[in-house]
Amino acid sequence: MSGYAIDPCDQCEEMIQPFLDRELSEEERQVAESHLDGCDYCRKRYKFEERLRRYVRQAVTESMSPELKAKLAELRTPLI
Amino acid sequence: MGETAPETEARRLAEDARDRVRFEEEALDLADQVYRVARRMVSSREEAEDLMQETYARAFRSWRSFQPGTNLRAWLLRILTNLNIDRGRRVQRSPDMQPLEEGDYFLYNRLEESTQGQNPDEERVLERLSQDDAVSALSAVPHDFRDAIVLVDIGDFSYNDAAQILDIPVGTVMSRLHRGRRILKQELAERAVADGGDSR
Repeated sequence: MSGYAIDPCDQCEEMIQPFLDRELSEEERQVAESHLDGCDYCRKRYKFEERLRRYVRQAVTESMSPELKAKLAELRTPLI
Repeated sequence: MGETAPETEARRLAEDARDRVRFEEEALDLADQVYRVARRMVSSREEAEDLMQETYARAFRSWRSFQPGTNLRAWLLRILTNLNIDRGRRVQRSPDMQPLEEGDYFLYNRLEESTQGQNPDEERVLERLSQDDAVSALSAVPHDFRDAIVLVDIGDFSYNDAAQILDIPVGTVMSRLHRGRRILKQELAERAVADGGDSR
């Protein structure tokens, strides 16, 4: 992931989603963290992406009804 | 000292029953988490409930094919995904690939623009969006992309697990996530702008 021609903010943008997915290698994670520590532009956007992810997850989460839970338990093999 | 054949058989049956009971309990303990993902892979609560019942019925029938020590939640979602396809709700196809011009920071930038260039507070701009906005924006994402988002962002699955559940290569999971998230942001941006900048 090294190279003189790569703009560090572009590189950081590419890494933010896999960073949040915990899919970066240790080395990549360190590159991203060290850039985020020193770059206000990227840090703001990183925080936004993190909050956006949390907002979507919380907003779309719907719990299973107790009735469905009971129906699933009824599907178990009866004990002899 | 040796056991007779009937004793061996009885012991085997008892062990089998014990393993099955343990499997069923573990699978039921995961039902809430499986449902959260399933609910967003289909369009209605009724469909999700039907699919959950079919999934658990099949899982309990074929519990022996689960390899202990592997990811049971992923195994259950693999069954659920296959059943969803079998029922004809899903046609397996390559999703349309319209060009997407916007980058990853599209939503942030759009929200920043709509606050007249002031740096938006990350929490405040999201306050403009309601719970319904998120649900409808996610529903608007084409299902192939949405499934990848739901598994990784809602279900917390790794790229590898999502690839196995959806039976697609890991690289395809990554590209669907990439495009799906951008589509989701476009949908959210439309709703944020439609909701107006006056709701402070």
